[in-house]
Amino acid sequence: MAVLELQNISKHFGAIHAVSDVTLSLEPGEVVGLMGDNGAGKSTLVKMIAGNFRPSHGTMRLEGKELVMHRPVDARQHGIEIVHQDLALCDNLTAAANVYLGRELLIGFGPFGVLDYASMYQRAAQLFKELKSETRPRDLVKQMSGGQRQAVAIARTMLSKAKIVLMDEPTAAISVRQVAEVLHLIRLLRDQGIAIVLISHRMPDVFTVADRVIVMRRGRKVADKPIADSSPEEVTGLITGAIEKV
Amino acid sequence: MFKKDLGLLILILVVGTAVAIINPRFLSPINLSNTANLIGLFGMFSIGMGFVIITGGIELSVGSIFALLGVVFIDLLVTFGWPWPLAILVIVIAGIALGWLHGILITRMHLQPFVVTLCGLLIYRGIARWYTEDGTAGFEFGITFPALEWLTTGRSFGVPHSFVVFILLAVVMGVVLHRSVFGRYLFAVGKNEEAARYSGINTSRIVIAAYVISGALCGLAAVYLAMYTRSISPASHGSFYELYAIAAAVLGGCSLRGGEGSMLGIVLGAILLQVLQNLVNLLGIPSSLNFAVMGGVILIGVLADQQFTRRRQARLGKP
Ligand SMILES: Nc1ncnc2c1ncn2[C@@H]1O[C@H](COP(=O)(O)OP(=O)(O)OP(=O)(O)O)[C@@H](O)[C@H]1O
Ligand SMILES: [Mg+2]
Repeated sequence: MAVLELQNISKHFGAIHAVSDVTLSLEPGEVVGLMGDNGAGKSTLVKMIAGNFRPSHGTMRLEGKELVMHRPVDARQHGIEIVHQDLALCDNLTAAANVYLGRELLIGFGPFGVLDYASMYQRAAQLFKELKSETRPRDLVKQMSGGQRQAVAIARTMLSKAKIVLMDEPTAAISVRQVAEVLHLIRLLRDQGIAIVLISHRMPDVFTVADRVIVMRRGRKVADKPIADSSPEEVTGLITGAIEKV
Repeated sequence: MFKKDLGLLILILVVGTAVAIINPRFLSPINLSNTANLIGLFGMFSIGMGFVIITGGIELSVGSIFALLGVVFIDLLVTFGWPWPLAILVIVIAGIALGWLHGILITRMHLQPFVVTLCGLLIYRGIARWYTEDGTAGFEFGITFPALEWLTTGRSFGVPHSFVVFILLAVVMGVVLHRSVFGRYLFAVGKNEEAARYSGINTSRIVIAAYVISGALCGLAAVYLAMYTRSISPASHGSFYELYAIAAAVLGGCSLRGGEGSMLGIVLGAILLQVLQNLVNLLGIPSSLNFAVMGGVILIGVLADQQFTRRRQARLGKP
């Protein structure tokens, strides 16, 4: 059964139709590559799934149940995690603080709880190790390299047991070695039965790791097919509009 | 962050030592006690200002709030004969209400903090002057409130209670700022509001809370200042005091761009400012130069800090 189904989802910003009438489904343990030109509506689509935007039209279903979200926390409670395109990190905080932002561990109860620094540092260090990243939990994010920042953003998605992980260009601006690590991580998540949406402009990434490719053009879905039945040439044509639709 | 505070502490010690050598009266118990009193009075609302600045905002109406709440406080005691604990409670609640109003205007109406609080500065001072018909509000001769005076202007073992209250507030608010989830969210919201929102933080609530805290501390400080001056001429009472608070916060390492600052820094900043005032008095510098000295030191302090930061980052090899 599909873990997530979108039915005729649209999003308008005033007169801008960022996403128009998109229908798609995600299976558990599946990696879907989401491709499209700049401004095609990829980020807008995943932000709706992550509870950042509310769809103008259409419905979403999670494991068969209708999903209505008002805030990003709602998505997280449903097991949907996202790595934002600009990473959405706070430069002035440490790596561990960013990993735990919005779900800090506390010692004590209710309003008298104080931050449990030790546990958060420890768990964050563990996550970075799993990611094979040299990121140190106590370092400030503003002092970090692109790859380390990426690791922080990805580690956020691993804090709780997710059903769906949305990655908006996780391989932009990092080195070849780090790209390989991110792709490796995606496979690890997939093997745990997590559904992954990978947005990328890098054809090789999508063709290495994805099971299926979805192409968007000007807010519409123009292709949705198994990666084995497609080719980089076809996808390029779909993105640019040289190929109308498949 | 700690290095910054250490630098400030050293600066305070250097300035203090220099003044003490030139004029030993600096270290006389009465002078130290008076300085501590001023540190307490000005420090109280500097803490609130620090919170607001960390969210990337500013609170310019502080001095006008002192004038308005000050005259109301005296009126409640003298004209209406309210018991003082009730009067203090009402004044603090009024401060909270004003802070809340500023927070609402900033977050819900999307107005800029500078604009909102600048209007507050003008409006509250105007109301204060109108309310007293530009007359001076004060305690009539012979009226005393022993318990209230002990709490506000009293001293124990030479230590002014205003200073004690300031230190207690600083400790409590320090824990809030550096050890609580709320404190962490203040820093997050101040640096990257969108990231904070995406992380599920109710950023409007955090910003409003910062202005409410500042408002509450302003209410309390209004009471302490009213008891200290004992008479309030609403046209001038507390004017420019917001600048002392901003100066203390900035000296203490708060960035006006938001997301930076520490409680220890704010406390040290408040101390340094009053030591400088004291320096002007004791060294026989014309008091007309008071603001010039303060401005000069802040400028040098911020410049020096920037240079140090740049050099440290160059050493780390990061932009
Ligand atoms: N918050 C917003 N308000 C108004 N318009 C928006 C907003 N977010 C996105 N848009 C518009 O929606 C369209 C789709 O943007 P989106 O960010 O989803 O594209 P994208 O496919 O992610 O592009 P890229 O590859 O450059 O990241 C664009 O025209 C953009 O200007
Ligand atoms: Mg995008």
